[in-house]
Amino acid sequence: MLYALCDNTMKNFFLSLKTTVWTLLALIGFFFIGSYMMPVHRDVFGPMSDLLLFQWIERFAAANPWQAWWFFASFAALVLLTINTIVCSIQAVIGRWTRRDFLLRIAPQVIHIGFLFILLAHLLGAGWGYRLSGFMPQGTLAQGLPEGRALHLVEVRIVTDEKGFPTDWSASVVLYENGVKVTSGVLGPNRPLFYNGMGVYLKNIDFSRGPAAILMVNRDPGAILALVGGLLFMLGSAMLLVLKWKKT
Amino acid sequence: MYYILFILYPLALYRSRLIIAALVLHAGLIISSAITYGRIPLIGLHDTLGFLTFFICVIFLITSWSRGRDLFSYLSLALMLLLLAGSAASPVMDGPLPPVLKTIWFELHVILSFIAYALFAVAAVLGILHLVQQEEASEPIQYRLILLGYVLFSVAIIFGGIWAHLAWGAYWLWTPKELWTTIVWLWYSLYLHARLVRGWTGKPVAWMGIIGFVIVLFTYVGVGLLMKSSHEF
Repeated sequence: MLYALCDNTMKNFFLSLKTTVWTLLALIGFFFIGSYMMPVHRDVFGPMSDLLLFQWIERFAAANPWQAWWFFASFAALVLLTINTIVCSIQAVIGRWTRRDFLLRIAPQVIHIGFLFILLAHLLGAGWGYRLSGFMPQGTLAQGLPEGRALHLVEVRIVTDEKGFPTDWSASVVLYENGVKVTSGVLGPNRPLFYNGMGVYLKNIDFSRGPAAILMVNRDPGAILALVGGLLFMLGSAMLLVLKWKKT
Repeated sequence: MYYILFILYPLALYRSRLIIAALVLHAGLIISSAITYGRIPLIGLHDTLGFLTFFICVIFLITSWSRGRDLFSYLSLALMLLLLAGSAASPVMDGPLPPVLKTIWFELHVILSFIAYALFAVAAVLGILHLVQQEEASEPIQYRLILLGYVLFSVAIIFGGIWAHLAWGAYWLWTPKELWTTIVWLWYSLYLHARLVRGWTGKPVAWMGIIGFVIVLFTYVGVGLLMKSSHEF
């Protein structure tokens, strides 16, 4: 009896739109606090985007709980929102269907799936993969990269306008795997080099001590999932927009 | 030429369709800037506030097509003139585009964001109308504008994520600007969900539409001025 009562209360809680509304409000509050904590505690939050999120949690957030509490609270709110989204979507899908309201009922679920894919992508990217960056003078070789790879920076180039303002820059690189050349390319702003799920990025150039570049290699196993989630979100949103527009 | 807009825009108070002249001139100024600098003028407060004013004007024109001169026109015009003044007072960024911004993803990200901001702005004005004049008809229009704005803003975020992945190898960066962008998105998600909850319809959601635009303004102007982020160019 008590079990059934608890079970029902739990089900109603996770099925409730009020849970969605209050969780969203709480999440907004935590992010609001976080946006003020981040610039104040740069020593804690500065490396947040340079490391994998789980690495950052282990090295910085766990050691500074008074500064990072809003992050853990946001994480808890996102977990609650995820359960709420899944339960509500399942309920909507297993409910009674009519031909007339099929699209109107499926569109929010497509949006929800897109949202869940994006969250899952963040989770995968937070814990798996790698992100390494470093300063490389022209002509040097960075060895010991993950998956037996090495990167050779062949040349750094900069293009300036007549006033000396840099208008473009690039870096030619060669990628090796187990000592064998596998690919090469020219990196630039918005022009990374991809090889088997790994991205090579030109973060910056530096001519102060001779031609050099700051390069980054990363593997984000969630990136494709995030893209699929984004596409699903756009598809569901477009469907919902057309249907609701007609209805109202 | 820019200052003629300060005369042309208020003409909408005389007859709303006269604003078309202001709109045509404003479009001409944006196009001439684009030709002069060889890029769509989307950098800095001068460009973007002007862009935002232009889109608010377009949405105002469509929304007020069958309305007479009323509180909606006064409030919308006041907002447009305020943003235009902000644009005129801000320095013009006349240099070449930083290389990282030379991508279609940046242009789509910014243009869609500002169309969404403009929709949220007019929705906020309609929210005031609902609260002050108890105009029931304004709430469904507010909902439509916010729904369209939400979809465009979501697409803008997704395009921004694709751009960030190509530029920095991460579709999400932990900076105050990204957090505030997410706050805007969460706030309007909250609006769309709250509208379905009994007791939240009517005045509460009208208020949410107004507060939403305040958050948008802070995200757009306040965060850039007060906090360091990846959106500094």
